[in-house]
Amino acid sequence: MATGSSTPTAPATAPTRADALFGEYERDIYRRTDRLFAWLMALQWIAGILFALWVSPLAWSGTVSTVHVHVWAAVVLGGIVCLFPAILAVVQPGEPSTRYTIAVAQMLMSALLIHLTGGRIETHFHVFGSLAFLAFYRDWRVLIPATVVVALDHMLRGIFWPQSVYGVLVTSHWRWVEHAAWVVFEDIFLIVSCRRSSAEMRERAERTAALEQEVRTRQQAENDARSLAALTSAVGLALTKPTDLDRMLQGCADALVADLDEGLARIWTLSESGEMLELRASGGTYPVADGAQSRVRVGSSTIGAIAVTRKPVLTNSRRADASPVDSNQAPADGIVAFAGYPLLVDSKLVGVMAIVSRRDFSTAALESMAAVADAVAVGVERKRAEAELARHARHLEAAHDTQRKNAQQLAALVEELRVAHKRAEAATRAKSDFLASMSHELRTPLNAIILYSELLQELADDQDQRSFIVDLQRIQSAGKHLLELINGILDLSKIEAGKMTVALETFEIREMIDELLDTVEPLVKKNDNTLTLTCGVGVDAMTADLTKTRQILLNLLSNAAKFTRGGAIDLDVQRCEIDGRAAIAFTVRDTGVGMTPEQTAKVFDPFTQADVTTARKYGGTGLGLALVSRFCRLMGGQVTAESQPGVGSRFVVRLPVAVVSETTETAVLSRDSAA
Amino acid sequence: MPATSVPFHIVKRLALAPRVWRVALAAIWLAAAAAGLWMLWRYDNTPGEAARAPEQWPALATMARASDRPTLVMLAHPHCTCTRASLGELAETIARARTSPRTYVLFMAPARFEKDWEKTDLWQTAAALPGATVVRDDDGRMAQQFGAVTSGQVLLYDAGGALIFSGGITGARAHAGDNVGRQSLVALLNREPAIQRGSKVFGCSLFDRGI
Repeated sequence: MATGSSTPTAPATAPTRADALFGEYERDIYRRTDRLFAWLMALQWIAGILFALWVSPLAWSGTVSTVHVHVWAAVVLGGIVCLFPAILAVVQPGEPSTRYTIAVAQMLMSALLIHLTGGRIETHFHVFGSLAFLAFYRDWRVLIPATVVVALDHMLRGIFWPQSVYGVLVTSHWRWVEHAAWVVFEDIFLIVSCRRSSAEMRERAERTAALEQEVRTRQQAENDARSLAALTSAVGLALTKPTDLDRMLQGCADALVADLDEGLARIWTLSESGEMLELRASGGTYPVADGAQSRVRVGSSTIGAIAVTRKPVLTNSRRADASPVDSNQAPADGIVAFAGYPLLVDSKLVGVMAIVSRRDFSTAALESMAAVADAVAVGVERKRAEAELARHARHLEAAHDTQRKNAQQLAALVEELRVAHKRAEAATRAKSDFLASMSHELRTPLNAIILYSELLQELADDQDQRSFIVDLQRIQSAGKHLLELINGILDLSKIEAGKMTVALETFEIREMIDELLDTVEPLVKKNDNTLTLTCGVGVDAMTADLTKTRQILLNLLSNAAKFTRGGAIDLDVQRCEIDGRAAIAFTVRDTGVGMTPEQTAKVFDPFTQADVTTARKYGGTGLGLALVSRFCRLMGGQVTAESQPGVGSRFVVRLPVAVVSETTETAVLSRDSAA
Repeated sequence: MPATSVPFHIVKRLALAPRVWRVALAAIWLAAAAAGLWMLWRYDNTPGEAARAPEQWPALATMARASDRPTLVMLAHPHCTCTRASLGELAETIARARTSPRTYVLFMAPARFEKDWEKTDLWQTAAALPGATVVRDDDGRMAQQFGAVTSGQVLLYDAGGALIFSGGITGARAHAGDNVGRQSLVALLNREPAIQRGSKVFGCSLFDRGI
């Protein structure tokens, strides 16, 4: 298929139409004048007869009369002269032979009249009147045979019978030239008149043709506008219908061919890979959307070339090849126009649209199809965006559903937790209240038991009843352990009940540690461990709860001593920062049994030890580290633990150098409680 | 008028005739018209029978001959339309003549016809001629005296009663205008050399001898 663009063929040009109109005007005038002469001929014939009957009805011979020869001449000769051209005017009006015959006949009538009037000069006006009448034809050629007849008549009769034409007996044989010259003189004016009239008629025809052309142009413009409006409306409807891409494009293709004569419109869209054009819609003569053109490789054939060049291909007023659109089913016969458009959205190719037709595309149609191509391109892109959006919307919807379910589950869980928390808080408060009261109630008899066991030991020792001493020691030891346990529980309960307060005081860290080392030294030596103290620069005084600080370090050191046998225990004291505030870091490191990560994670939980055998093996209540953690938090500090089984453990306590007031401690405790 | 309304099938055939036939028809038509014109011309130029007029004023003539001037006699048929031109030429002749002749116009009137049969427009025209006397010629007896047989016959006798002109004063039937007869007559009345003393007479026959 040849490619290129061409201007649509214009309709019949105005000059051609002007010629046709001019011909129509001429034929109309010829016919009307023929009819006039037909009547005139009949009238002249009848008038001649009547005149003959009036002037010379009878010829006499003495007393006998007969019809005058002139009457017969009027009937027969007048009939011959008049009727033949009159009949021609009726049966073949407008023919040149008719008006030429009429011209000759009219001049014969003039000759007859001149003859009958004896060549009266007044009768010659019939000649001039007849010539003027013949000029009604506006065909100057008609005057030629008329003039020839007049000239011949005058010449012959001037030679043979001058009196019948000139009214004199003798005259020059060339007098007919004078008469003929006068006739020619009139002919000149009549010819000029005919030509002017003809020119005016041609001008009118040209004006009419131009007007018709303008009307046609306007009508064509109106039709184009209507077609464009209909096409735009149909395409717009197809583009805006809530349907899928294929149906939308099919609607566009149907709308395109609706205004074409047996046209065919097809629309391809670019595949996601960008290498193939896939036929999505086919409308018109061959609506079957299959065959070789159902998938066109970009760059191959005319359709593929349009996708590469991204420029329209227009073929008009020539025999076009339908193969680019349908190689199998669309016959080439009759197809004269092809228009292919790339479907572009912001220079991005989304497809190709092609139309073939059995008639030329007008300029307006091409403009309309170009506009449609732009709209279809936008429509394709919009449909793709809608599809993508719908896909995302589905995903979002699914995610939203999941989230909603999760939120519902979470809300239920939160509610359960809130209820559980409330229950737990209530239980905790009840437990704490119970423990506080019970501990108080238990400590009184325990103190009595411990005290009495000690007194009994002394009494037994005094009475030398040593066999009871061991048992009494066991009672005392058990009582102390129980008291220690109850004290721990009591402290823990106070903390959890929010009733634990800190008593701030400023003290020297080194002094506090020295006193502490004296306390733990027996425990360290008990398992053959060594204790090393390291104090950094700037470790001097701090403001905190001295009792709780000592309790923290005591618990850590006693644990280290307890879980280390024949090892080393280090206490390192250094200055540090907690959230930008000056703090003291107490690090207790041992080479004891260590803990697994799981055990390390739970080491600060109350009543938790490394395993169930620990209490039995190493003793303890399982409340020491829990109290360490809570005391640290009470004072705005923190404690961390690192441990490896078989290697040892490392506990770091960071306490602010200046612990803040009680209200802050209460707030910290509240946060912890909420967590 | 549409062609279909023409009742003559020959007309339809004419419309459908080939070009050659139409040319032939036109030629025939033209020839017929020319022939008709020629026949008419021939008729108009065919003179009537000339008079055998007496060389001297007939003694039996009932009209009085003038002795001091010429006497002109025209014999006419009261219903001959050709004679209208002759009367016109007679008026022209009288008007041009320096010597006005005594003029008689005799209208032939058959006795068996009704009264005033002869009183036609020609009679009135003749009566209006200056110096002319219109006379009823019963059964054409005077015409016979003067040997005339064709209407429009003019005879001119001089003051002595001798015939000096006999003929018609029109160039053809019913054709007014210059003609030899009138010119000769005027010349004679004006005592000038005449072209000729006689001429052809164009008009109806005064007697029943065919037209």
